[in-house]
Amino acid sequence: MDYQFTEPTWQLGMITPIVLGALAYLLLQHGVLAKSKQLMAAGVISFCGAIVFAIGFAPSTMESVMLMCFCSIATAGGISFLVAREPVYAALGFATAVLSTCGIMFMQSALFLAAATMIVYAGATIIIFLFVLMFAQQTQLRTYDVQLTHPVVAAAIGAVLLITITMCVTGAKGIKLASPDASRPYSGAVLPEDLRSSAAIDFLKTQPIESMSVPGTTAGLGRSLYTDYLIAVELAGAVLLVATIGAIALAQRPAENLS
Amino acid sequence: MNDTITQNLLVFGGVLFCAGLVGFLSRRSLILMFLSLEMMLSGVSVNLITFARHHQNYQGQILAIMVLTIAACEAAIALALVVSLYRRKATLDVKAWDDLSETIIPKVSESPVRFGDAAMEFPILTPAGLDPLERPVPSDFEANESGTADKVSTRTHEVSSHA
Repeated sequence: MDYQFTEPTWQLGMITPIVLGALAYLLLQHGVLAKSKQLMAAGVISFCGAIVFAIGFAPSTMESVMLMCFCSIATAGGISFLVAREPVYAALGFATAVLSTCGIMFMQSALFLAAATMIVYAGATIIIFLFVLMFAQQTQLRTYDVQLTHPVVAAAIGAVLLITITMCVTGAKGIKLASPDASRPYSGAVLPEDLRSSAAIDFLKTQPIESMSVPGTTAGLGRSLYTDYLIAVELAGAVLLVATIGAIALAQRPAENLS
Repeated sequence: MNDTITQNLLVFGGVLFCAGLVGFLSRRSLILMFLSLEMMLSGVSVNLITFARHHQNYQGQILAIMVLTIAACEAAIALALVVSLYRRKATLDVKAWDDLSETIIPKVSESPVRFGDAAMEFPILTPAGLDPLERPVPSDFEANESGTADKVSTRTHEVSSHA
């Protein structure tokens, strides 16, 4: 596994989309605040320019157009989540971003995770958040919905972090394919004939990389989950139980005669 | 597998994470701050799934399932906390809980918000009438049509006595 990290370089095509995206966020949120169509149009144009820059200046374009579309829709949903002043619209933008992310997961052959994310996030979490929003909803917008705390500073911090991430990722000059991990024999996409024999590890080590298949079946995921990661599953169940008890204890109405 | 897809998806996960970070830093509503946290977690999930595809095994996907589980726990606890906080102060503003922070930080007075038109600004009425806390109303006070002051009532009483 040889990662050849070269010196991170400042590329114009790397920084320009990020700066344009941050600018689009600032323009859009100020345009929504001032209800100015010119500012919002400028923000949308800046966002489209960011996407065009990102596609054109990427190290090489993405093979799949669908993946690119999902990425763009998810980013647009994220920005609309950031700029929307009505909380319900912000929640809808978040749902858009999460559903597009589910599409990306489908294309990355994580089928079970895409379905689970769709059910848990877009189904349960959004609905519960909307319930709480309507429980606390007033007829008009409140100050804390409209006003933001230092959006310019927040956008600058986000842009710097994103530039750093991009430099780290693209500095690796072509990520090499990893050799098979023999320490978790049940987690590989291709299984040897007899898993209980010690020859399984040798089999995985001698497995040529080209013949490894993509981990796409839910059965394989379940096999890996309940063999290699059984303790983690039990711990996750315990954490869920504790969270349930804690949520019930916290959400109880306090006693009347408590003074 | 082509590794440029891996690179691009890693950058996309970073984009989602940074969008959630910006939302968490700039939003003031408690619920939207927690939604920003969920967006950061979904960016992390994209990263993990990309690495699972890259290494061609299931370990990244299993880690993403763990992230999903912890996100569900966090949402449950956070919503219970938000509901109990809302019961205390009847607001979702995170600034309402500023007095939990250090006291040496000077308080910044809020500027009035203009959202589009001037519909959110209301005229300020000058206070009128008696303040019942400063001048308690006497027990034999009777309000009449012309006014509420004591002198008025005494004057009408005099007039009636002369007649």
